[in-house]
Amino acid sequence: MPQADLVRTGIAGLDEILPGGIPRGNVILVEGTIGAGKTTLGVEFVYRGASQFDEPGIIVLFEVSPHKLFRDALGFGWDLEKLEKQDRLKIVFTTRDVLRQELQQADSVLLGEASKIGARRIFIDGVARLVGGNGTPETRSAFHVLTEGLQRENLTAVLAVEASFNDGNVNGTFAEESIADTVIRLKMEDTQRAISRSIEVVKSRGQDFQMGRHTFRIVDGQGVQVYRRVQAPRKASRDRAAAFDPDTRVPTGIPGLDELLNGGYFLGSTTVVAGISGVGKSVMALQYLSESARRGERGLMLSLDEQVPQILRNAASIGIQLEELIKNGLVHVEYEPPQEIEVDVHFHHIERLVHEFKPKRVVIDSLSTYGSTLGTGGRIFRDFFHALVALMKEEQIAAVYNHENPEMLGMASMMGEFAMSSLVDNILLMNWVEIADSFRLGLTVAKMRANPVNRVTHECEIVNGQGLRVLPRTLPAAKRPFSSYAGLVSRAPTRRPREREEGVSADGDRME
Amino acid sequence: MNDTSRRNKKDLQRLLACIPVITGPCELDLLVFFYRHPRSILTNEQLAALVGYDTKQIAHAIEAFIGAGLLERTQTSMHAARMYVLVPEGPQLGGFKTLLDLASTRQGRHDTLELLTPGRAGPPSEINAKRRLRVVA
Repeated sequence: MPQADLVRTGIAGLDEILPGGIPRGNVILVEGTIGAGKTTLGVEFVYRGASQFDEPGIIVLFEVSPHKLFRDALGFGWDLEKLEKQDRLKIVFTTRDVLRQELQQADSVLLGEASKIGARRIFIDGVARLVGGNGTPETRSAFHVLTEGLQRENLTAVLAVEASFNDGNVNGTFAEESIADTVIRLKMEDTQRAISRSIEVVKSRGQDFQMGRHTFRIVDGQGVQVYRRVQAPRKASRDRAAAFDPDTRVPTGIPGLDELLNGGYFLGSTTVVAGISGVGKSVMALQYLSESARRGERGLMLSLDEQVPQILRNAASIGIQLEELIKNGLVHVEYEPPQEIEVDVHFHHIERLVHEFKPKRVVIDSLSTYGSTLGTGGRIFRDFFHALVALMKEEQIAAVYNHENPEMLGMASMMGEFAMSSLVDNILLMNWVEIADSFRLGLTVAKMRANPVNRVTHECEIVNGQGLRVLPRTLPAAKRPFSSYAGLVSRAPTRRPREREEGVSADGDRME
Repeated sequence: MNDTSRRNKKDLQRLLACIPVITGPCELDLLVFFYRHPRSILTNEQLAALVGYDTKQIAHAIEAFIGAGLLERTQTSMHAARMYVLVPEGPQLGGFKTLLDLASTRQGRHDTLELLTPGRAGPPSEINAKRRLRVVA
C-alpha cells in the first residue's frame, strides 16, 4: 500500500507492527479492560496527528471531563490545551445519544466542527454502550451507522470499547469487531504476580501486520511505547547480508587462548563460556573488553548478575581501568536487574544499545540468569536467545555469553538444561580439576565452527593484577602438567603411565 | 474568621464584581461546568442533570452567559442538542479562572455562594452585551 495512504500513528513501536501505519479512513476498534490504556492510546493517536503530522483531530468524551484530560495529558508532555487554541485539536464532551444523532445527520455540529479545523483523525472514548445490546442485529446496525458517519467525513477513527477477555476470546464486542476495519486488543496479564501489558493487532483490513501479542508500556513523559515481540520475524537486510565478513578474527586478549582459537573468534560468531561460579568467566569477559578497547574498537557488556561499581572494582583487581575506557567511549557497561524482566522490552533495549553504541564485541553475563528468570522449559527463552544471536550476527558482533554450569567438577553436558548448543558457534568449557589436594583450573575449547580444534584441556590460572592466562602444555618441574593426567573433565582424573605423558621423554626427563 | 479567610472573601467579592453575570449558585456551577468542559454538545435536559438544576434555571443562565460574551451556542434544527463553547477571549474569563481556583475547594465554593445574594444583578435583558446566537437550519 502506498505510504501516502497510510496514517502514521506516531505511537512509538506501533507503526512497526502495523508497517508504516494504518490505511486512511479505517475505523480502528481498541478493546481492553478498565485501565488497559485505551484512552491513552486514543488520545495519543490524535495528539501525534495534530502535533507531528499536520493532521488535526477531534477527541470525543462521554465521562471524563476535558479539564482532567488536559491535566493527565500534561503528564506525558502533551499540551492539548495549546493545540486546541491553535485549532489543531478539539475536545468535545457529549453524550452517547447525542453523538448517535449527530453522526446520522448531514448538518451535524460535531462534524461541522471537524470540518472547520480540517480534522483527519477522531478518537471516541467509550463506544460500547453507544450501540447498546450485545451482538443483536440492532447493535450491529447501530455500529454500522456510526462507522458510516465517520467514513463519510473520511476520518480515521479510533473507537475505545471496554471489553473483557476469557481465555483469549473477547466478550461482548463481536458485532463491532466484524464491522471495524482494524481491531487492536489491549490486555493486562498476571505474570507470576507481576502485571504485564500486551497489545495485539487482531485484524487490519488492507494491510499486513505483525501478529501475536507484543508488550507495551505507558511511559511517563512519553506515552505509549510498544515493544515488538521478540519472536516476531526480523526483516533481513540485504545490505547487511552482503557485508558479511567470514574471515576476520577477533582476538580475545587472553594470553594463550588465541593460539587455541587460531587467532580468535570469528566476527559475528556466538561464543558460550560455560563453567561453575568462580572459574573466571567474568575475568575473561573483562579481558575481552579490554582487548577491544586496546584495538580502538567498542565493546559492550550487559550484566544481570553484578552492578556496575562491582564490575569496575573487579576489573581494577586484574589491572583493567574500566572506568577510563568507559569515559573514553570505548566500553559501555550496563546492569539490568533480572527480576521481572519483560523479554520484549529487554530485547528492545539491547537492540537500541547495539544500534546506538555500535560495538564490535558484546559480553552478556549471564545466560543462566536469563534462564532462571524466563525459564528454560518453554519457548520464550529459546526464542529470545534466537533473536539475540540473530541480532548479533546481523550487526557482525562477536558476542560472548557467560553461562553458569552448576557442576563443580567436570560436566555432564556442555550447556545443561539449555540444550541450545546448536545455536552456538564456539563453546569454551571451564572446569575445576581436583588433583591431589588442590583445585586447578582447566579450559577446553569444546566446539569451534569452521575451525579445527584439538579439544585438549589446558590449565589456566588467574593472576592478581593480570587476569586469566592459559598455561603451556609443559610446566616447570615443580608442577606436574595436565598432560600427565587423563580424564580431567570426567571428574576422575588419573595419572598417565610415564611413557605416555606428553612432554616427558622416554628416559623420564621432562621436556621443556 | 481568620486573616486568610478574610482576604479570600475580599478577593472573591472583587472577582464576583467583575463577573456580574454570576447571580446565584446555578450560574456559578454552570460556568464551572463549562470551564471544565469548554466545548460540549448537550441538550438543556442533559445539562440540568449534570449540573443539578432545573432546565428553566439552566436556560436562564445560558442566556446570561451568551449575553455577556462568555459562551457561544451552535445548534441544528434536527435535534435538541446544542454545542456550547466557552469563549477563551471572553471579557471576563481571566477573572473567572482566578474565581474558579478560589471557588474550587469546598470552603471556597461555600464562601462564594455566601456572597451571592439574591438580586445581585438584573435579568439578561438588562445586561448591556451582544447576543451571539447562530442557528444552523
